[in-house]
Amino acid sequence: MILEAKDIKKSYGNRFNRTEVLKGIDMNIEKGEFVSIMGASGSGKTTLLNVLSSIDRVSSGHIQIEGADITQMKDKQLAHFRKNDLGFIFQEYNLLDTLTVKENILLPLSIRNMKKDEVDRQFERVAGELGIHELSGKYPNEISGGQQQRTSAARAFIHQPKIIFADEPTGALDSKSASNLLKKLQQMNVASRSTIMMVTHDATAASYSGRVIFLKDGLVYSTLRRGGRPQEEFYKEIMNTQSVLGGVGVES
Amino acid sequence: MNLNRIILKNFFRNIKNYGLYIFALIFSVSLYFSFVLMSKDESAAEELSSGTMMSTGFIVGSVLLIVIIVTFVMFANTIFLKRRNQELALFQLIGLDRGRVFRILVLENAIIYFGSLMVGILFGFLLSRMLMMILLRIMQVELSVGLNFSMAAVGQTALLFIGIFVLLMIQNFIFLKRTRLLQMMTMNRTSESDTRRLGTGTVLMGVLGLAMVAVGYYFSTQLMENVSLIFLLVFGVLGLTIIGTYITFKFSVAFVLNMIRKSKKGHVSVTDVLSLTRIMFKMKSNAFLLTLIAVISALSIGLMSLSYITYYSTEKMVENTMPHDYVFYEEEALEFYEELLDEEGVDYESIQMPAVDYEAKTEGAISADLEALDFNGSTLYMNVVSDAHFGSVALGPNETIITGTPSVMQTFIDYTLHAPMTFVSDDYERSLELVDIKETAVLPSMVSYGSPTAIVDETVYQELSEHQSDEMQEQGVKMLHAIDITEGDSMDILNMMNREENPVFESKIQQQTGQLQASGMTMFVIAFVGFAFLVTSGCILYFKQVGESEEEKGSYNVLRKLGFSEREIIRGLSFKMIITFGVPLLVGLLHAYFAVNAGWFLFGTEMWTPMLIVMGVYALFYSLFALLSLVHYKKVVRESLT
Repeated sequence: MILEAKDIKKSYGNRFNRTEVLKGIDMNIEKGEFVSIMGASGSGKTTLLNVLSSIDRVSSGHIQIEGADITQMKDKQLAHFRKNDLGFIFQEYNLLDTLTVKENILLPLSIRNMKKDEVDRQFERVAGELGIHELSGKYPNEISGGQQQRTSAARAFIHQPKIIFADEPTGALDSKSASNLLKKLQQMNVASRSTIMMVTHDATAASYSGRVIFLKDGLVYSTLRRGGRPQEEFYKEIMNTQSVLGGVGVES
Repeated sequence: MNLNRIILKNFFRNIKNYGLYIFALIFSVSLYFSFVLMSKDESAAEELSSGTMMSTGFIVGSVLLIVIIVTFVMFANTIFLKRRNQELALFQLIGLDRGRVFRILVLENAIIYFGSLMVGILFGFLLSRMLMMILLRIMQVELSVGLNFSMAAVGQTALLFIGIFVLLMIQNFIFLKRTRLLQMMTMNRTSESDTRRLGTGTVLMGVLGLAMVAVGYYFSTQLMENVSLIFLLVFGVLGLTIIGTYITFKFSVAFVLNMIRKSKKGHVSVTDVLSLTRIMFKMKSNAFLLTLIAVISALSIGLMSLSYITYYSTEKMVENTMPHDYVFYEEEALEFYEELLDEEGVDYESIQMPAVDYEAKTEGAISADLEALDFNGSTLYMNVVSDAHFGSVALGPNETIITGTPSVMQTFIDYTLHAPMTFVSDDYERSLELVDIKETAVLPSMVSYGSPTAIVDETVYQELSEHQSDEMQEQGVKMLHAIDITEGDSMDILNMMNREENPVFESKIQQQTGQLQASGMTMFVIAFVGFAFLVTSGCILYFKQVGESEEEKGSYNVLRKLGFSEREIIRGLSFKMIITFGVPLLVGLLHAYFAVNAGWFLFGTEMWTPMLIVMGVYALFYSLFALLSLVHYKKVVRESLT
């Protein structure tokens, strides 16, 4: 068990005008799992990802990552925790325009004392796996959106974090770049046994994962497991659940 | 690849984004440094008779400058923090704690700051030499400008900017402490405009704002008519216009623009999309800033106009009160100097002219609002002189000319040409026709005591002096003793005559240079501070536009995809610039006009020319920033499609 969330609640607003976004969510994620979170817009999926990934604080409840309770951590401990154990991929890539692809990828390693050849070895590994090796000297505005997102993914994997959080990673990509990226994520998930948690509203994207958790109105509505089934079959089941939820075609 | 190197590289590649920020910093430093340097320039201070005035002027000016610079730099810093929040968020995501992020900010700012400080001091040094030359020219002092470099001035400037640096770091620290990571990541996506509907409240407030400003303006024109209430009125005017301006920006502008929008009934053009609808909400959220800019613009335009009016009118004012080169209090003094000038071989002309005091009725040719000034009775004191002393003036026995009415008096006295003017003395009355009015005095103020002087025919003069009342006769006939230098007066002649052992006299040239120096100094300091304000407020508006252009990039993209050409979008944006920059400027100019109009006559003799020059120059420099913003927008629009 790598991540264990118990009765997570999160609400926004002041004393007089509160909106409860998460109403008590329990969740367990095993090491090496690839989990998708789906739900209609407003169901709280991005908020859930934010609190699980320590970007936002919970209102109540506990989150344990490998036995450490991150809801109890101080700011400095959280920073340390992010540095070692977490990786992030965002919809809008979040690359620094002023740095080359290689520099962007190596950014998480630059804050720890690592030997240069070890750093280069890590870079060769992720860049090779994600197929962006030949781009390493380019700047983000010189490469395509798909390539930028793979750069962003490489940055998330480079320091071999325990969990990678991805918020709509394919949201800004065309379907070909999207499936390309998802295949790579799937491969990395299998190859390096890294745990991936992804928020998406796209059933195709979700069908690449091993488990899909549906949220509705701040609560877990249902969970689908792929098991040994082919991807197409899993995709159909996701679509069915989504139509029951009333979330078909609803953009997040 | 260690972090510091990445951060430094990131920073240096980003440096063109900070361009204007760095420019503004360098500008502030140069300005302040040159100001301090000039105030420490001893050689100049010695030369100027108004040395103490100069140092007080500089102290007041430097305090104002500091206030402007601090506000400006802190404002610029908040904009840059906002721009960089995504980067800062990323640093935190990869596991830097806030302490480290804060240290990065300190490092970057230190580079920007101390780099700008050094460059700024260098520029400031050159600038101060140039400004010193301008200052000395304004004050009409001959002095070569040396190259004095003062370490004390460097120290003072460095101290101030280190102080500002500490302030900024506190600001950054609070920002980091307060802002949650999540907020930082999403800050770019939230826009500051709130698109609530405009209700009846807005309409009412919109009307109220405009009305308050109008009433304030009206009161300002009534100041002189109600002298007893003047303090109350001044505060009323200030309160009404400032609060009115705020409400105007907060509600009235949105209200007016919304009326225009409604009248189009949904058929909005590209211009409307880019200007009307955006400005409507932006103005509201920026009301405080815009009010500040408008009010301080008004203040600096007003003060600059008034000081320029003084400077501009100096020669004429002295001319009006001092018709001769030298005036003496006694006949003996005149004789003494006649001898002295003879010895030195200087050609001159002496003038001796008697004048009698008389009262004139405030009816017929003279209409006066004497109640306003608590005068008793219905007569006005006048000096009367004979036309025999003026070669160029020949009057008939029933004619008179009025000369030298002080400008303050002109605000409550009006003359009517070709109307009868009646001199009275006890029972005796004599009416003459007013045929001409001359600004220039024929008697210096030390003889006329600030009353107007009437010129009459020699026979009338004799007649009037015979009928002078006993009370007036007791004061005796006033005599003018004066000398005009034929070749024109010069400082050499003044220095020759002006010895301690010699009898006292009044000199026109001495008064003129003295007043020119005083008014020139004031004007210089005010212009300096005003200019600093102009540039900083221009920069603030420019930064705002740069920020907005980034937020609106998406809209340009959509518009261009919809088929609007670059030119059409630019036209819409030009309109937006005109409103964003024009409205505060217009409000500032209007405020300044009414302020100057209310009290200019206390400062000089001419209002329109100096005021319009100041306003013109101010508007010109100000619009440069609008142009700069437009150029920036052009670039953004061109790049929006790619």
